[in-house]
Amino acid sequence: MKKALLILLVVMCLVAPIFAEGQTEKASTAGMAKEVNVWCWDPNFNIPVMEEAASRYEAMHPDVTVIVTEMAKADVEQKIQTILASGTKTGLPDICLVEDYNVQKYVTYYPGQFTDLSMSFNYDNFADYKESIGIVDGKHYTVPFDSGVTGFFYRKDMMAKAGYSAADLENITWDKFCDIAADYKAKTGHYMFAGDALDGGFFRVMLQSSGRWYFDKNGDPDILNNEALKEAIKIYKRMVEEDLRMPTSGWTPWVRAINEGDVATITSGIWIMGSIRAASDQSGLWDVAPTPRLSFMGSKNASNLGGSSWMVLENGPAKVTAIDFLKETFGKDVDFYQKILVGQGAMGSYIPSLTGASYTANNAFFNNKPIFKTMAAWSTQVPMVNVGLFTYDADTAVMANMQDYYDGKITIDEALKKIDAQLRNVML
Amino acid sequence: MATEAKRNKIGWYFLIPITVLLAVFLLYPILYSIYLTFTSKRGLLVSFVGFANYTKLFKDPMFIKALGNTLKILLIQVPIMLILALVFAALLNSKHIKFKGFFRTCLFLPSVTSLIAYIILFKMLFDYNGMINDLLLSLGLVQDRIPWGQSPGPATFVLIIAMIWRWTGYNMIFYLSAMQNISGNLYEAAEIDGCSPTRSFFSITLPLLKPMILFTTVMSTIGTLQLFDEPMNLSAGGTTAALMGPDNCYLTLSVYIYNLCFHSVPKFGYAATVSYAILIIVAILTFLQFRFTEGEDKKLERKARRMK
Repeated sequence: MKKALLILLVVMCLVAPIFAEGQTEKASTAGMAKEVNVWCWDPNFNIPVMEEAASRYEAMHPDVTVIVTEMAKADVEQKIQTILASGTKTGLPDICLVEDYNVQKYVTYYPGQFTDLSMSFNYDNFADYKESIGIVDGKHYTVPFDSGVTGFFYRKDMMAKAGYSAADLENITWDKFCDIAADYKAKTGHYMFAGDALDGGFFRVMLQSSGRWYFDKNGDPDILNNEALKEAIKIYKRMVEEDLRMPTSGWTPWVRAINEGDVATITSGIWIMGSIRAASDQSGLWDVAPTPRLSFMGSKNASNLGGSSWMVLENGPAKVTAIDFLKETFGKDVDFYQKILVGQGAMGSYIPSLTGASYTANNAFFNNKPIFKTMAAWSTQVPMVNVGLFTYDADTAVMANMQDYYDGKITIDEALKKIDAQLRNVML
Repeated sequence: MATEAKRNKIGWYFLIPITVLLAVFLLYPILYSIYLTFTSKRGLLVSFVGFANYTKLFKDPMFIKALGNTLKILLIQVPIMLILALVFAALLNSKHIKFKGFFRTCLFLPSVTSLIAYIILFKMLFDYNGMINDLLLSLGLVQDRIPWGQSPGPATFVLIIAMIWRWTGYNMIFYLSAMQNISGNLYEAAEIDGCSPTRSFFSITLPLLKPMILFTTVMSTIGTLQLFDEPMNLSAGGTTAALMGPDNCYLTLSVYIYNLCFHSVPKFGYAATVSYAILIIVAILTFLQFRFTEGEDKKLERKARRMK
C-alpha cells in the first residue's frame, strides 16, 4: 500500500507540471487575445523601434499589451520555421520580423501560415522596391519596415590626405572605386575600406543597383548571361588580387576598423550609421557619397543592402489586434517614424514619413548635411528586383566558386557555368 | 509457476513508460526521418520523390565539400588529439612526476568549458588584431599579421588547434583511469627483466589500453562527424554569410544540414538524407575500427572459418 502511494506520488510529481503548463498557456490566450507577441532581433535597432511602437499603441489602447521578445536573428528564423514545419498551431508569436530575402520563401513554403495583408494597408505609401518584396501571387504579406538604402560613407579628412575631395567620389563606378582604393593605399599605406572576403553583400549591392539579380522575372536562374554578375565577380577578384580590402571577419572587427580610424570608408546600408556615430570623436569628419555603380548600362548610383519587414502569423492568438497595431503605428504614424529616425537612425520605407523635420535637418556628425534627406532621395531610385526564393542559395553558389576563380583555376565563364549548375541542382 | 508469470507480467508493466517514451521520442523520429528522405519536404510542401534525394547527394558539390572537410578534420585532429592524450596520461601516471593533481586539473579543465565560450575565445585570440598575432609579431616570428580567418589553410588550423585544446584532456582521463587499472606487478616484473620504461609502455601499457583506445577512437570519430558548434561559431557571419569560413572550410556535414534547413530554402527532406549519409559513414568507420583493432585470436578464428 505504501509503495502504491509512493508510486502515485512520484507519478503525480512528474505529470503535474505538464498539466500546469498547459493551464497557464490556456489562461493567457483566453484573456480576450489582447496580448500581442512580437519576435525580433537586434537590441540596438529593431527592439527599441518596436518598443516605441508598442508604447504608442498601448497609450491609445490601454487594454492591449505588446510583448517584444528579443532573440538572435538565427533563432527567430529557426524557431518560426520549426514550429511551422511541425504543423502545430501553438507557441507562435503574432508578429515576427523577417529579413527581406526570406519573405518570398516563407510565404511559398509555409502556405497559409502568414496573413494576407492586402486589404489592411495602403501599399502605395511604401517604397516600391520594398513593397514588391512582400508580394506573392498578387497578395501582400509584409508591412515594409527599414530601408537598407546604401551609401558610400567616407572620412573627409582621411580622403583629403590622399588628395580626394567630395567631387571625386560623387557618382563613381566600382572600377573607379578600386582605382581610388589602390591609390589611397599607395599614398597613405593604409587600406581604404575593410570587409569580409566571405560576405556576398557587395554582390547584392552591385546587382540591385543595375536592376538585375540572380534570377529573372520568372524566378529562373539568371547566371550565364548576367553581365552585372560577371562584372561584379571581376570586381571581387580585383579587390582580392590587389589586396584592396583590410581583412576583417565578422561584424565587430569590421565596425572597429572604422571607429578606430584604420580605414577611411565604408559602403553599406543606412543602418550602419548608428555604428559610425558610435565614435563620437569623429563627429563632423564623415560625409556620404552615392553608392558606386557598375559600368553596365542602366546601373544606378543607388542600391539596397539588407532591411527587413514585419509579417503577421495566421495562427497567432491575437492576429486581429496585431494587424491593427501595425496599421496604427507602421502604417500611418509619421511622428513615430521621425522618432525612430532620430533615436535609432532607422529609416522606414513609409513614403509620407520621408519629409518631416527630422529628415531635412542638417546632421552635425555628417559634415552638417541633411544626410537623411539625401539618402531618402536615393532610396526612391533603387531599382526593383525579383528576390525570389533562392537568394541565399545563389549567394552560396557564387561564393563557393570564387576561390577557384581567384586562384586562376577556372575562367569567369567556367565559374558562371559551375555557379549555374550548382544553383540548378539546389533548386531541383 | 503462477507467481512467476505474475511477476514477469508486473515486470513488463514497469517497462511500459520507458517503452512508450522511447517509441515516441526515438523510434518515431527515426522512422519519420527515413520517410522524409524519400520526400522533397520543403517547409510544409511535401511530395514523394523516391530515391531522388540520394542521387542528388552525389551531384551536390556542397555535400562533397562538406564531406571532404569533415574527413580532413577527422584525419588530422583525432590522431593528434589521441596521441597527445596518451602521452599526457602516461606522464601523469608516472611515479616520478610531482603535483600530479595540479597538472591533471589543468589538462582536464578545458573540457568543462562551454563549447561556445571556448570557440569565441579562440576566435578572439586568432583575430587579425588578436593576441596570437601580437605575440608572433613581438617575438619577430612573422613580418606581417597573419589573416587567420581569410584563407582555408590557417582557418582550418585554428579550428583543429581549438578542438585539440578542448578535447585532449577529456580523452586523457579515459586513458589515465585505464592505466591506473593496470597492475603495478606487470611493470615491476618488466623492470626486473631489464625492460626500459619506453619498452614497457609499448609492450604493456598500449596493448592493455586497446579497448579504451578503440572506445575513444570511435567516440571521437562520431563526435567529429557530427561537428557543429565549433565551425558554426568560428565562421564569421554565422547564418548570414554566404560561406562557412574561407572557401567553405568550416562547412561540415552537420553545419550543412543546419544550413539546408534554416539558411536556404527549408529542404527538410534533403537535410534528412544528408543526416542518413552521416549515419552510414559512422557505421562504416566504426566497423572498420573494430576490425582493425580486434584481437589476434579473433582474426585467426575468421581465417579458419574462411578456410573451411
